[in-house]
Amino acid sequence: MDFFSAMDISATGLITQRYRMNVASENLANIDSTRTATGQPYRRKQVVLEAIGQYYEPFPQLMGMLGGARVSAIVEDQTPFRQVNRPGHPDADKNGNVLMPNVNAVLEMADIMSATRAYEANINAFTAAKSMITKSWELSK
Amino acid sequence: MKIDQIIIPTTSNVINKPKLSLSEDEEKPKPFSKVLIESIEKVNELQKQADKAIDELAIGDSKDIVQTMIKMEKADISFRLMMQIRNKILQAYEEVMRMQV
Repeated sequence: MDFFSAMDISATGLITQRYRMNVASENLANIDSTRTATGQPYRRKQVVLEAIGQYYEPFPQLMGMLGGARVSAIVEDQTPFRQVNRPGHPDADKNGNVLMPNVNAVLEMADIMSATRAYEANINAFTAAKSMITKSWELSK
Repeated sequence: MKIDQIIIPTTSNVINKPKLSLSEDEEKPKPFSKVLIESIEKVNELQKQADKAIDELAIGDSKDIVQTMIKMEKADISFRLMMQIRNKILQAYEEVMRMQV
């Protein structure tokens, strides 16, 4: 388990946060999409993350076990669709109600902010590992 | 943690002795020049990987900017570490050359 492992672990964090960002963007882009391939309105997607490797402890027999995070699944949010009254809409039922995606713009914005902050945190961890390596060269001075 | 669970490491109960980089069957330790050549080759390999990643990103084969950046950083750090070692070796050489005979 060398310093490069810390960098690789931070990289997995960056990649998973990028996934979250992409999915939140897709949710926001489809906030008014009433049609999908399944015939239903768009369903909000969620990223499920999981840890790679069982656990890491500073014992020699466990060294080399690479940790980190990865995307386990992208699941659809099963909360009910929003119903809005829009009689002129082509997808309206006979009462003039249209089913809209279960995407909440505020929730998505909060998700994007949290993904951005987590991305920054991973970059900070990466630069910290880098500065630790460069600091260790001062041992030879 | 209970105190009586703590095992005092003696030579008999240390099972997982940290292995040196030498393999078991290798009797003689590697000469320093070989270690140096191997580490320089590793640095070169990391440089090549970074070059490849930059090329792929530039021509659009890969869109993974994170992996590219990390490969570049690894190449940079390993190269700078190699330079540190080189400086140290040169310093030792100069020290020897300054010796009065």
